[in-house]
Amino acid sequence: MAETKLINLKINGRDVQVPQGTLVIEATRRLGIEVPSFCYYPGLSLQAACRMCLVEVEKMPKLQTACTLVASEGMVVRTNTDQVRNARKYMLEFLLTNHPLDCPVCDKGGECELQDMVFRYGADSSRFVEEKIHRPEEKWSDLVYYDAPRCILCFRCVRVCDEGMDVKALGVGMRGANSIIIPNGGDHLDCEECGMCIDICPVGALTSGTYRYKTRPWEMQYVSTICTHCSNGCKTTLSVRNHEILRANNRDLSGINNDFLCVKGRFGFDFTKHPERIKQPLLRKGEKLYPVSWEEAAQAAAKQLNELHAAYGPESVGFIGSNRTSNEENYLLQRMARATFGTNNIDHHRTADYAGLVTALGDRAADSSLTMEQLYQSKAVLLIGNDPTNQNPLVGWQIRAGIRHHDTKLFLLNSREIKLARKATQSVQVPTGQEAAAVRWLATGEGELPHELTEQLTALRAALEAEQDVALVFGSELAGATIGHLVAFGSKLPGTTRYMALGDYANSRGAADMGVLPDRLPGYAYLDNKTVAEALENLWDAKLSAKPGLTAPQMVEAAQSGTLKALYVVGANPLAHFGTLGFGRGKLQLLIVHEMFLTETAKQADIVFPAASAYEKDGSVTNTSGQIQLLHKAGEVMGTRSDFDLLRILSHQLEKLGLGKAFHYKTPAAVFEEIRKAVPGYNVHPAGLLTGGAEPTKIQFSRNGHEPYNVPVQLIRSANDNLFTSGSLGRFCTMMQSLPEAEAKP
Amino acid sequence: MELSPKLAAKFELLQNHYPVKRSALVPMMMYAQDEYGYISDDMVNELASRLDLRPVEVEETLAYYSMLHRKPIGKHHVQVCTNVACMLRGGAQLLQHAKKRLEIGHKETTQDGVFSLEEVECIGACTGAPAMQVNYDYYENLTPLKFDRIIEDLDNGNRSAPVPVITGALRERNALEIPLISKRWGIKDSHKIDVYLQNGGYQALEKALKQMTPESIIDEVKKSSLRGRGGAGFPTGMKWSFVPKDSPKPKYVICNADESEPGSCKDRPLMEMDPHQLIEGIIIAGRAIDAHRGFIYIRGEYRYVLDIVDAAIAEAYARGYLGNNILGSGFDFDLLIHTGAGAYECGEESALMESLEGKRGYPRIKPPFPAIVGLYGCPTIINNVESLSSVPAIILEGGEAYANRGTPKNGGTRLLCVSGHVNKPGIYEIPLGMNMKKFIYEVAGGIRGGKKLKAVIPGGSSCPFLKADEIDIPMDYDSLAKAGSMLGSGGMVVMDEDTCMVDMARRVMHFYAHESCGWCIPCREGTSWLRKMLERFHAGFGRPEDIDMVGELAKNMLGRTFCPLGDAAAMPTISIVTKFRSEFEDHLHGRCAYKSAEALVGSR
Repeated sequence: MAETKLINLKINGRDVQVPQGTLVIEATRRLGIEVPSFCYYPGLSLQAACRMCLVEVEKMPKLQTACTLVASEGMVVRTNTDQVRNARKYMLEFLLTNHPLDCPVCDKGGECELQDMVFRYGADSSRFVEEKIHRPEEKWSDLVYYDAPRCILCFRCVRVCDEGMDVKALGVGMRGANSIIIPNGGDHLDCEECGMCIDICPVGALTSGTYRYKTRPWEMQYVSTICTHCSNGCKTTLSVRNHEILRANNRDLSGINNDFLCVKGRFGFDFTKHPERIKQPLLRKGEKLYPVSWEEAAQAAAKQLNELHAAYGPESVGFIGSNRTSNEENYLLQRMARATFGTNNIDHHRTADYAGLVTALGDRAADSSLTMEQLYQSKAVLLIGNDPTNQNPLVGWQIRAGIRHHDTKLFLLNSREIKLARKATQSVQVPTGQEAAAVRWLATGEGELPHELTEQLTALRAALEAEQDVALVFGSELAGATIGHLVAFGSKLPGTTRYMALGDYANSRGAADMGVLPDRLPGYAYLDNKTVAEALENLWDAKLSAKPGLTAPQMVEAAQSGTLKALYVVGANPLAHFGTLGFGRGKLQLLIVHEMFLTETAKQADIVFPAASAYEKDGSVTNTSGQIQLLHKAGEVMGTRSDFDLLRILSHQLEKLGLGKAFHYKTPAAVFEEIRKAVPGYNVHPAGLLTGGAEPTKIQFSRNGHEPYNVPVQLIRSANDNLFTSGSLGRFCTMMQSLPEAEAKP
Repeated sequence: MELSPKLAAKFELLQNHYPVKRSALVPMMMYAQDEYGYISDDMVNELASRLDLRPVEVEETLAYYSMLHRKPIGKHHVQVCTNVACMLRGGAQLLQHAKKRLEIGHKETTQDGVFSLEEVECIGACTGAPAMQVNYDYYENLTPLKFDRIIEDLDNGNRSAPVPVITGALRERNALEIPLISKRWGIKDSHKIDVYLQNGGYQALEKALKQMTPESIIDEVKKSSLRGRGGAGFPTGMKWSFVPKDSPKPKYVICNADESEPGSCKDRPLMEMDPHQLIEGIIIAGRAIDAHRGFIYIRGEYRYVLDIVDAAIAEAYARGYLGNNILGSGFDFDLLIHTGAGAYECGEESALMESLEGKRGYPRIKPPFPAIVGLYGCPTIINNVESLSSVPAIILEGGEAYANRGTPKNGGTRLLCVSGHVNKPGIYEIPLGMNMKKFIYEVAGGIRGGKKLKAVIPGGSSCPFLKADEIDIPMDYDSLAKAGSMLGSGGMVVMDEDTCMVDMARRVMHFYAHESCGWCIPCREGTSWLRKMLERFHAGFGRPEDIDMVGELAKNMLGRTFCPLGDAAAMPTISIVTKFRSEFEDHLHGRCAYKSAEALVGSR
C-alpha cells in the first residue's frame, strides 16, 4: 500500500497531523474536540444538511461545514469562537421549532443526541411562538414506529437502509418543512426488519416496537455479549432491567460489527422469556416427562450412564455437542466423552467444513484465515455459494461497506440468485449444486462443464488473477476435497489469499475448533497424533482412544440399530436434523438432553436438563471467521443452569460412581485458561478479549501424514436459515416469527 | 398497467433517451399525469419497473415536485399566481374571486371533478400579471370578469384561447433598447428555422465550427465579459474554461430553463419566440468544451414552450444543425429537452442536475463544482437560457464588440422584465449599465397612476429591496452589488407608495418556505418560522419584539444554509425589515396604511 501523505493543520491553536483526505470533523475528533453533528455519520455518504458542524476556517469568508471540508496543509480551524457558538445555538433553535418538547414521554429521553446538543450548545428558552407542524405517529411494522414531528431529517435512516443494507425501504417524502420519512410499503415497511433505522436515529423519531415505553435508558444495565444466532459473531449490547433483557443494540459501536445488527441480533432475544422455557429438570417416568429435583435428575443421569458404559463399553455411548454453546462447554463435553467415557463418539451438527478448510490449508492455516475486518478491507472478494444477506448478515454488510468505501470488487459463484448480486462486479451462475464442480474446474481445469460456464469461469479467473489479496468466502456448498481445490486455486493467486468458511449458529466454528468431532482432537489434530494425544492424556489424567468415533448422523443411525445405547445431547436437536423425524430415538436406552425448550429431541429424552441460553452465561465463542469473543451473562432465568454447570455437576456425580475425574473448574474463564494451552491457536492474549475485542485464532495444524481431508456427502449441511429463522431457537423468537416478512421470505 | 398507445410510445421514447434511464422519471410522470390526471399506485409501480427503480424511489421523487399529484385533481386545474408581481396587480383578490366562483379552496376539487384550484408560486408571467394557468394554458392580465368568462367557457366544454406569447414581450420598442438577442421577437413565425435562417440564424455556429477552435470560442466569450444571466452573474467564459480538457468521461452542456425567480420571465419569450438562437448557443457551448450532448431543463409549467423548443430541435436535426457531423465539421451534438415538475430549487445548478437524474431536487455538496463533477458525475457546464442565447451574437459580432455594449466587466445587453406598478410592464433589452431610474421612468413608463415610487426589487425576489432614493444607479452586476442588492435574473418588481411592505415581506417568505427543499435545517425551519411569524404579524398579531426577531432569524440563516436559497430568503427580508421598519411598527399599532391587512384595518 502506498504511503498516505500527512497533512498538518491547526485546530483551536493545537497542531494536528492527519492523513490526506481526512475530513476536518474527523481531525477535530482526533484531538478530542467535539464538533456536533447530526447528519454526519462515519461510513455513510456526506450530507452537510444539519449545519451543526459549522466551523471557522481562516481565509474562508463563510463558516464551513467540518463534515465536508477536507483538511488541507496549513489550514487553521476554530471550533469555539462566538460566531461558531452562535451558529450552533441558532441552528438548534431552528431545529426545535418543529420538534415537540415531549422528552419526558419520549423513549429517546436520556440518550437523545438532540437533547444532549441542546444541553451543551442550545439556548435555555425558545422564542418560537407559532404553531408547530403536527402529524400523528405511524406504525410501520411491529418493530418500527415513526413519529414525524420528532424527526430532524438528518436522513441517517434513509442512508443506512439504502447504503448500508441495500434495502432502500425508506425514502423522503414531501418537501421543505413538511418533509417526512416514508416507508416503502406506503403505510408500512416491507424490509429486512434489521432495525438499523431505529438504532441510528439520533432522536426519538424512529422507535422500536419491542422496547418503546418499557423503561428509561438510565434504569437499565448494559451487557455486551455476542449474538447467539448466526455464526458471524456480532457484538450485541443487551439492555437489561431486573434480569430481563429489554433491548439489544450496539450503540457503543464496539466489536467487529460496529453498529450493525440484523433482525436477529437486535430483536431475537425474546426466546429467553418464552413461556415454554424449561425451568426444571425433567425425568421420564413411563410415557411422560415429570419435573424432578436437581439431585434426582443428576443422580439418575450419572447412574444410568455409568451402568450402560460398564455394561456395553465406551462405544455404546455417544455425545452430540452444540454449535450454540460456548467453547468452554464444548471443550468440556468432548473431554467428558474422550476422557471420562473413553469414546470418540462425539460430533455436532456441522454447517461448514472448518476441519476441511484447516486440513486443506495445512501449515498455512494459522495465517490464511480471513477476519471480518479483513473482509471489509479486501480489494476483491470471491463468494462461493451461500446467501450472506440471509445467512450471514454481517458478512453481507462488510462486503457492501467495502464496495461502498473502497470499491471492493465482488465476484459471485452461486447456483442461487442472491441479493448481493446487485453489487457484484461479476456473477457466475452455476446449475444447482455445481459450485464445487466449478471450483474444481477453476483449480484444475477438470470436469465437464457447459461451454458458457467455462467461458465465464475463465473470465472470473482472469479477473481474480489481476487482483492482489483476494478474499475467498464460501458456504456449505464446498466441503472436503473441494475445499482442497479452492485452496489450490487460491494459492496460485497473487498476493495473500485468505479464506472464510461460512457456517451457521454462534459457535459452529468453536465447536469444531474444540474437537467436537469424532476424528479430531481439539485444534483438529488427528486422533493418532501422538504428541497432541499424549499432552491431552496428561492434562486430563486419562487414556484416550485413537479409534475414530461415529459422526452425528451415524450416531442417530446407530441408535436405530441398537449399537448405541446412550446418547448425550447438549444444545442440539439431532433427531430433527439428522434422522427423519419418524426415526425417533430408536433403540436408545438412555437419551439425555440439555435444552431450553422441548425440541423434537428433548421430547423423546429420558432426562432433560434446563439449560441457560447464551445470554444467560459467561464463556467464549468463536465466530465463523475464527475470531474469539467473550459472552457476558446478561439475563437470568430462574431454574436454568449453564451447560458448563450441568457438565460439572455430572462429572462430580460420575466421579462418585468411579467413572472419570470430576471437573474442578470454578468458572468458564478457568476452562478457557486450559483451552489456551490445550487448543493450538487459542493461545490468544486475554487482554483483547477482556476489553471486549475479538481475537483471531491461529490454528496450528499438521497433516501428520494424513491424506487431504474428505468428508461424506451430506455430513456438512447448512441449516439454510434466513433472516427470520434460527434453527430450533428461532421458533421461540416470538417477535421475529410474527413479522409478515418472516413468512414471505424463503 | 395498460397504457394508451400514445403514452406507451412516449414512455418508450423517454426511457431510451437518456444516458441513465432514471432521468426519464420526472418527464414520464408528467406525461402520465397529463393523461390520467394524477399518478396512481399502479403508475408508481409501472414507472418503477420500467426504470428499474424501487417504488419508494418513485414516491420520493414524485413527492418533491409540486406539479405532481398523487391523488386525482380536477379536469381543469386552475392555478392562480399570487407571488409578488401578481400580488401587486391583484393576484390575491383574483384568488379570492376564484375561490368564490368555483366554490372551492386552495388545493380543493369541485365535487364533479371538473375544477380544482391551487394558489401557486410565480408561473413566469410577471409582465402579464395577474396571471393564472389552467392546466398548461396561460391567461394573463386577468380581471374577475375575464376569469369568469374563462371558467364559463371551460364549463361549456370550450377552451378559451390562452395567451400565445407572454404579455409584455411584444410591444413597441423603446429608443433606449438595443434589441440583440430579442431582435427577432415579433417577426412572424420567428420560432421556425426558416425564419431564423432568413434572419442571420446559425451563422455563428458555422463560424464557430469552421473558423474557430474550442479555445478561441472560450476566449471570445471571455472577451465578451458575458456574465451569467441566471442570477449569480458568474463570468460565462471562465466557467467554460474550468472544464477539464483531458477528462475521459463524456461532457455535458445543460441549459437552465427552470426560470422560477419571482419577477423573472425573460427566458420564456426567448424560448417561445427564438428557440433556434438558444439551440445555436448550446451547440456552440458544446463545441467549446467538447461536449456532445446537451440538455435543456425547462420548468414544468412552460409546457407549451417546451413543445415549441422541441419542435425547433426536431427542425435543427432535420437540417443538420444537430446530430452527427454538423455542417460537415465532424462535430456531433445531440440535444434533449427535459421537463421539470414544479420546484424553484431546481434552478440551483446542482439541484437541477439531481432533478435531471430523476431524483429529488436536492442541491449537491460543492466542491466539486459541475465543471468537474456534474451531470452523471461528468464534467458539465450549466448556463441560463439568456446566457446561452447571447452566445451566437457574441460569436458573430465578436466578444469585444459585445462587451462594449455594456460597461466594463459587465458586457452586452440584458433582458429586464419589469412588473408591478409601472405603466408599461414588459420585457426590455437594454445595455448593461443603464441607469435604473431612467429605466423605470423612461422605458417602463413610470409609476402607474402618477403615484410615487416606494421600492424596487431589482432582479427577482431574492434581491434585497431598494428604496426610491436608492435607484439612481447604473444597472450592472457590480453597481447593484455596491448598492447592496443584486442584478439577479433581471426580474424587476416595482412598488408604488400604496404597497404594504409587511405584506411584501410576508409574500416573499411564503414563497421561500414553499420552495425550500427541506435539506438543511436553517432554510427548512427558518423559512417556515419566518413565514408563520410574518403571517401572524401582518394579520395584526405582532409583538414589538417580532420586528427585531424577523431580521435576526433571517441573519441566522444567512450564509449558513446549504445552498443559496436560504440567502435568497434572508436577504430581501433583512432589507425590508431594515428599510421599512416604520411600517412594521405601524402594524403593531393597528395601522396598515395600505389596506392590505384586511383583518387589521378597522378591527382596532
